[in-house]
Amino acid sequence: MNGTRVYRVDLDALQARFALRVTSRLSEQTEKLPHDLSERLRVAREQAVARARQLRLAQPATAPALQVSQGSIALGQPVSGWLRVASVLPLLLLVLGLMLIQHLHNQAEIHAAAEVDAALLADDLPPEAYSDPGFVVFLKQHEQ
Amino acid sequence: MANDKELSDFLKSAEKRAFKRTAYAVRDEDAALDIVQDSMIRLAEKYADRPVAELPLIFGRILSNATMDWFRRQKVRQAAVQNFSDLESGAEDGDFDLLEALESVDGSWASQGPSERLSREQTLAIIDAEVSALPARQREAFLLRYWEELDTAETALVMGCSEGSVKTHCSRAVHALAKALAAKGLKP
Repeated sequence: MNGTRVYRVDLDALQARFALRVTSRLSEQTEKLPHDLSERLRVAREQAVARARQLRLAQPATAPALQVSQGSIALGQPVSGWLRVASVLPLLLLVLGLMLIQHLHNQAEIHAAAEVDAALLADDLPPEAYSDPGFVVFLKQHEQ
Repeated sequence: MANDKELSDFLKSAEKRAFKRTAYAVRDEDAALDIVQDSMIRLAEKYADRPVAELPLIFGRILSNATMDWFRRQKVRQAAVQNFSDLESGAEDGDFDLLEALESVDGSWASQGPSERLSREQTLAIIDAEVSALPARQREAFLLRYWEELDTAETALVMGCSEGSVKTHCSRAVHALAKALAAKGLKP
């Protein structure tokens, strides 16, 4: 059992050594790539680095703009949870305000209806009189 | 975060190996160059802010994905899948003694036996051809593990397979290369 493990370790080490010898030859071969291929790879690399630089330079241009509108956000930080919360806050306040207005409006309507009911009930004339067609005609004649 | 110089240095150190690996896979130098260029741009656009130490793994993954995308675009996915099959057999080698072949690497390939008559360029060309002739998955595992020097777990991540599969692919690749190179006289 122990002998098998030792053999396995030896074999792994030999495999790794063999593989590294092969890949060192591949590296040697790869260093001799034709000039045009090497140049095209160089140009591709430079384009990639330029692209990364371009994106990196574009980032600070947007960060201060965010900072101006949200004074508590630190400079250079990516869009954070705080910024998201801050951007949702005005909408939340608007919705709460509308709900408050609706509630106050309902309360006013209930209050007005209660006042009318109280006036009717407190009057000497019974409320049923208003559903009597003859009484309505009497009122119209008096208005004229 | 990698700065421009670190990104440039990394790409410079990796670009030729990346090209070669891709060229082995797609067998087309122009396509390999396009794939490597696309991969560099993707790395620069999306991952340039990562630490330098993470770039080799990320770039390896991007390159593998870009290569697979190329196969898909070429509408030869079926062929690619066939090439990428895990069903390659490495167990039909009869009386070939792997241990003996591997032990021979302690000597110099170019100093003894028939290889004495081979020029260095011929030796390199033979090795290049034999690596190129490996089944795709074996070659990918072998190159990532021993050329890109990723560990087994990283290689498995790039290849999208288990660590056990990586070990199997690597072992079979070494076995196949040792046998092929020995048959060409590249042994002591």
